[in-house]
Amino acid sequence: MEFKSPNTQEVEKEVFLSRILFCSIAILILATIIITRLFFLMVIESDQYKLRSLNNTIRMQSLPASRGLIYDRNKNVIANNQPIFQLEMIPEQVLDIDTSLEQLADLDLIKKNNIDNIKQRIDKNLQFKSIVLRRNLSEREVAVFANNRINFKGIDIKSRLSRHYPKGEIFSHALGYVGSISSGDYSRFDPSFYTGKEQIGKTSIERNYEPYLRGKPGNQKLLVNVRGRIMERIDQNPFLPGNNLILTIDSELQEAAYKAMGKQKGAVVILDASNGEILVMLSSPSFDPNKLSFGLTQKEFNTLSKNKNKPLFNRAIAGQYPPGSTIKPMIALGALEMGIIDPDVFMPCEGRFFLPNYSRPFNDWSTHGAVNVVRAIQASCDVYFYNIANEMGIDKMSYFLKQFNLGASTQVDIDSEKNGVMPDKEWKKNNFTSRENQTWYKGETVIAGIGQGYMLVTPLQLALATAIIANKGTAHKPHMLKAIEYTNSGKIQYLESESIDYINYIDDKNWNLIHEGMEAVVNERRGTAYGIFPANSSIAGKTGSSQVFSIDKRSSNEVPEELRDHGLFIGFAPIDKPEIIVSIIVENGGGGRVAAAPVAEKIFASYLEGSETNNAN
Amino acid sequence: MQTNQFQLKTGNILADRAHIDMPLLSAFFIIFLISGIAMFSASNGNSNFVIDHSINIAVSIVAMTIAAQLSPISYERIAPWLYFLCLMLLIMVLVFGETRNNATRWLNLGITFQPSELMKIAMPLMIARYIATGTLPPTNISIFISLLIVLLPTAMILLQPDLGTSILIAFSGLVVVFLSGIKKRYLFTGLLLFIASLPFIWRNIHPFQQKRVLTFLDPGQDPLGAGYHIIQSKIAIGSGGLFGKGWMKGTQGQLDFLPERTTDFVFSILAEEFGLIGVVIIVIVYLFIVGRGLLIAINSQDLFSRLVASSISLTFFIYVFVNIGMTTGILPVVGVPLPLISKGGTSSVTLMIGLGILMSIRTHKRLISK
Repeated sequence: MEFKSPNTQEVEKEVFLSRILFCSIAILILATIIITRLFFLMVIESDQYKLRSLNNTIRMQSLPASRGLIYDRNKNVIANNQPIFQLEMIPEQVLDIDTSLEQLADLDLIKKNNIDNIKQRIDKNLQFKSIVLRRNLSEREVAVFANNRINFKGIDIKSRLSRHYPKGEIFSHALGYVGSISSGDYSRFDPSFYTGKEQIGKTSIERNYEPYLRGKPGNQKLLVNVRGRIMERIDQNPFLPGNNLILTIDSELQEAAYKAMGKQKGAVVILDASNGEILVMLSSPSFDPNKLSFGLTQKEFNTLSKNKNKPLFNRAIAGQYPPGSTIKPMIALGALEMGIIDPDVFMPCEGRFFLPNYSRPFNDWSTHGAVNVVRAIQASCDVYFYNIANEMGIDKMSYFLKQFNLGASTQVDIDSEKNGVMPDKEWKKNNFTSRENQTWYKGETVIAGIGQGYMLVTPLQLALATAIIANKGTAHKPHMLKAIEYTNSGKIQYLESESIDYINYIDDKNWNLIHEGMEAVVNERRGTAYGIFPANSSIAGKTGSSQVFSIDKRSSNEVPEELRDHGLFIGFAPIDKPEIIVSIIVENGGGGRVAAAPVAEKIFASYLEGSETNNAN
Repeated sequence: MQTNQFQLKTGNILADRAHIDMPLLSAFFIIFLISGIAMFSASNGNSNFVIDHSINIAVSIVAMTIAAQLSPISYERIAPWLYFLCLMLLIMVLVFGETRNNATRWLNLGITFQPSELMKIAMPLMIARYIATGTLPPTNISIFISLLIVLLPTAMILLQPDLGTSILIAFSGLVVVFLSGIKKRYLFTGLLLFIASLPFIWRNIHPFQQKRVLTFLDPGQDPLGAGYHIIQSKIAIGSGGLFGKGWMKGTQGQLDFLPERTTDFVFSILAEEFGLIGVVIIVIVYLFIVGRGLLIAINSQDLFSRLVASSISLTFFIYVFVNIGMTTGILPVVGVPLPLISKGGTSSVTLMIGLGILMSIRTHKRLISK
């Protein structure tokens, strides 16, 4: 080490000190920068960061309300909720959506050909909202995912309550079904009721009473860590379960009707004669509503909706059919009331009816000989009613029949009901474009007399009309909801249905003549339903066949099935004090006697069995 | 003499004999206390973790005490040996070092350690010795050699890659050149050269280091990836407010939102739980240590000691500044721990050895004065 002179050392030290001074100033400046920065973050902008810190750790989670149960009139559960496992994804939390979906497909948890569909849904979905990848996972699939969960950030299995219909397709048209909420549904109802929910009532009871069934969602405030694990529940507003509905449906009778219809297409409506309660609403073929609540693929839905037998179509309220001969008791009543016919006068039936100046005959399905009103109803004589119709004229006939609520909505408490048609001259003028078609022809009046032509009714309308006949003019509006069971109070509110005087000026003896004719249909030789029901049943009925295709030959066996006549049957029992009303249509069944009346018989038998057991108890 | 007012009084005789500077030691205890409190919170109340950390602290205090016993002359003597040893070890790291997390920083010679940590001590000693031997202000040649001494290990550490350590080591060397009285125009030229070489450096640093710098410029562009650390750290600090959320009550830390909170981001935990008041106290304690170090430098009797002491003190400050700067988002995340508070055995030990050298300079009277 070389020696330095003291002088050099002094100079060195002075230079050093000036540089140290410089460094000290630099340190103070840098320290000031740090303190200023800290002040800025921790005082000036602190509120913003406090909020962000809370947003990090506080999760508001909605607690979807459980949907109300649906009972039949005897409190049998016909719609409940079942926990299911489903695979859900929160897109913004997934690092690589494409790879994750591929890996899920490799584990067989989603289908490979479904990936594109899922991606489209992800694009439409809000990035922070959970999206369902697969519903209804099996326990094995849940286990497979659980083993691989670590590879799937942002994807998890959630258990949810899903609508379940224990009886499957038997009640599908009566209850309707639930399905995924679509944008159209949000315009129907307040979205705030559906936070965290995926299902909404789509048709029938499920749709119409949605506001009662859905309940009110709750929410909870959760403290979560960085991995989203719940550390603590800070606050909770429990959900309010949906209210339970008690329907007028009698599940035993519904099942009996379902069995009686078998594979036949058509509809069955049964009413309680005393109060308009719908005991059975069946439309066949049906569908499994459970599949729809899990969400069908577009393809599956298309197969279902494009099926030529229209399983999704509720024939009981939306199927419009010519009433055929089931209209005859009502036309007879009108004729009696208007003095067109005398109940004691017999008219000859030679199997054909001619209009003046018209060469083509109107054929009867049989030759009945001499008939009065009771016999004409009993044997369903067409000629008798051709005559009545011709004399009454279409406008009077139409006016009279409208009093039975035919051709108009019954205002039943489910949606998609069709009005049917009760034609008159005015109607034809309004509904056709060419002048030629706007003219009402006499021949059209004649066939209207046997319920053919433009006249269209729904099975439910026919049931209501039958109830009006059974109760001699008064009836209750048909309805499906019997009571609401409020889950918060436990109270059951029964719904009063109003009794309506549909038609109140008819002479009692005329009612009795009609009842007599309808009883004869069932219980007397030559009655069109004779021999089908047990002898001397207290049942009044009327068969009907409505032409699908105008052919002279009405025998069924030689005609292809889809061109065969629809078979109809209306009836009530017991005759003196009616309890139940039936209205049955079997499409292409070949006629009321062969197709519809046997179904009615089975239902009546089941009803009697049921009421006997009840009485025995 | 103007220097008289900075003259240090002779302290406690007992302490002087043991070559311990009581004010520095007291400051360390305060810092270590804070460290223990922070570690307990950062580990979510894991006492085993705190015990491990306390053992590290104890080891580093022992290392400091030993370092304080050696006289500055001995340091001056061993400086070149130490430096060349470190250089050798760094070359070995490049050749057959151990790789962890994509960085080759470790050397396994019976025990596994980071030679770059050792260089943190060797660098100021070596450069101070080289400068102090020559005439002042340094000649062009000695400036050139000094730069070589500094840049050689810096480049090797940068290759590992370890940006944080290479910055600290380069700084600890360059600050000595600065203090030696290098002419201002050289400083200017050096600064310009540095700026001019930035594109070259940029191209040659690791992609993840480039990403860190880019993320620093705009943390929002990658909020779940590289920007996550900065964003969560700022949330932790900002949400602490004036008084903090209270010990063990910081949600950012306790609920794991803040990553690396026992190491690089421990400052954020402290800010979240103890607020502005708490962290200002910490900054003051650090400034006290730095100030004390500079005072020791001013008062030391020979150039070598002066340069070593001021280099150690200023580098210590740069540690603090870079760490707080990166946790508050004013500097890129370069991986510099908060000195003596962050967990990390070797870094506390080397820091404490450095501070032990400070104590040695303070307590050893040189015979060859004036």
